[in-house]
Amino acid sequence: MRRTALLLRKDLRVLRRSPLLLAVLVSYPLLIALLLALVAGYANAKPRVAFVDDDNLPERVVIGGRAFQVERTIRRVGDDVILVPLERSEAERQLRSGKVVAIVRVPAGFVAQLKAMQRSPQLELETTRGLLASRVTQQMQALVYSLNRELQGAFIAANLRYVDLILHGGEGSFLGRRFDVLGLERAEDRVRDPEVREFIEVAQLALDQTDDALEATANPIELRVNAAGGRTWALSAQVQAYALALVTTFLAAVLAAAALAAERDERVLQRLARGLASLGEILASKVSLASLVAAVLGLGVAVAFGVAVEAAGVEGGEPWSRVPALVPALLLAGAVAGALGALVATLAREARSATLVAVLVVLPIVFLGIVPREAAPAAGWVSHVLPFAHEVRLFDALLYEIDPWRTVIVEAGWLLAIGVVLVAAARTLMRRLTA
Amino acid sequence: MIRARTVSRRYGAHVALHETDFDLREGELVALVGRNGAGKSTLLSVLAGALVPSTGTVERGVPTGWAPQRPALYSRLTPRENVELFARLARAPGTDVDLPDRPAADLSVGQRQRLNLALAFLGEPRALLLDEPTAALDDDRRAELWQRVAALCADGGAVVFATQLHEETERADRVVQLHGGHVE
Repeated sequence: MRRTALLLRKDLRVLRRSPLLLAVLVSYPLLIALLLALVAGYANAKPRVAFVDDDNLPERVVIGGRAFQVERTIRRVGDDVILVPLERSEAERQLRSGKVVAIVRVPAGFVAQLKAMQRSPQLELETTRGLLASRVTQQMQALVYSLNRELQGAFIAANLRYVDLILHGGEGSFLGRRFDVLGLERAEDRVRDPEVREFIEVAQLALDQTDDALEATANPIELRVNAAGGRTWALSAQVQAYALALVTTFLAAVLAAAALAAERDERVLQRLARGLASLGEILASKVSLASLVAAVLGLGVAVAFGVAVEAAGVEGGEPWSRVPALVPALLLAGAVAGALGALVATLAREARSATLVAVLVVLPIVFLGIVPREAAPAAGWVSHVLPFAHEVRLFDALLYEIDPWRTVIVEAGWLLAIGVVLVAAARTLMRRLTA
Repeated sequence: MIRARTVSRRYGAHVALHETDFDLREGELVALVGRNGAGKSTLLSVLAGALVPSTGTVERGVPTGWAPQRPALYSRLTPRENVELFARLARAPGTDVDLPDRPAADLSVGQRQRLNLALAFLGEPRALLLDEPTAALDDDRRAELWQRVAALCADGGAVVFATQLHEETERADRVVQLHGGHVE
């Protein structure tokens, strides 16, 4: 323990004398976090969708006596996707080349079918395979829902006119045929049979209620959307958890790898191995270094993030009371990543290779942890036995979950188990360094 | 003081040191000579415990100092910090080094060698294993080193040193010739 502390103090002293290295170690993962945010932002960008109008949609269509701006309604989907009007052949060519992710086609006869109000006309959607395609499909379903919502009003109004005709009588038309209807009111005056008169009264009462009933049938549940004052994506809880995990993993792994490899580069490891410090004590000093530095800098990132959140006036603000709880989590995460870095150092031949290999190892670990499980289940399984995803969930729970302790225990347990395996592997392979 | 039996050392398929016996007795000054790659540094490192032998055993009955051919020290620490750290690790008293107070990486080759030797003398060892100790030292420092070595041997200690210089072997009580990893 005393020797570990002495070596740790030496490493911290060396680190303090390398401000450029420290600056790079902190800024690099933050830069990656920023790039990830940009990439994620691109993923949220509007996909290009070709719009093929084979029916020459008019600007205005009258359905059931009500006027509709059909094209404008369809174009409203442009809030979520970029609709590009194209000829069919060009749209298909662009779909094959990936310039558009889907084609929405209005087939010939679409408006005529809509006006006839007999059979549902169809919009056709053709998509590529991939993540964006499922998003476009959802948006198109939303578009059809929105069109149906507007049209059903007209359809109901038309149906109610028929009900009105049955009640009060008058002139009407159906399928192009005009006819004169007597109506229940006038029919009641002409009927003498009391039972038939009673039936007519009941029928009138029932049909009087049809208006509200039809409206309610059309909209059993309505969704009212209120604009919320939540966090922007860049200042979201998820980004903060990712930034902390990224800084911790990257910094600790690279630092431990470089520190251990440097001992060998400077040939000090052999001097230490002569009874001055055991391999276990040397490994412990590197893991402690990684853990300590990760905790300090991770805390700095959390505080900087919190200040940005406060300055931006984000609703909910930064959960300052939870920030101290991050310290043990950062120490644990840093130690696990440090063990990973030490393991890398035992495999590399010298410090520069160790640092490079550590970066090369950490990046896929990070990306595996970022890929959504729904998108690539295999990535989820692999990242389960790697530290990054557990760190993200641990930090996220500590900062933002109302009752975080179950998640904290599970994720900390995972990190501990992964750390033990990494330390054991590093300790075993460290013999190579002096053998 | 140091007793090695059937020690050998291989690096993969290459045998740097074939099975060798070696004894270092009190008051003895032993020179290891041989061409480059003969196995001098390997034998010294194995005797020092800095390298694990592939076969055989080494018994060190006394505190042993070691100065490798290429200085083994922390280049980002100053000479004073290096000495202080290794002394504390060895629970030995520190020593003053007459070297500039700047990181070892910024010292001259000769100054780094002096620091390397200072670390070997930490803890008042009774046996010293020195690998080409006078390389890069000026005449005064060489004379100073040989004085210390002679004093240690006169006091019942023992020293093994590797050298390429014929005149240095004349100081030795015994000369051990190595060739292709074999002691001749």
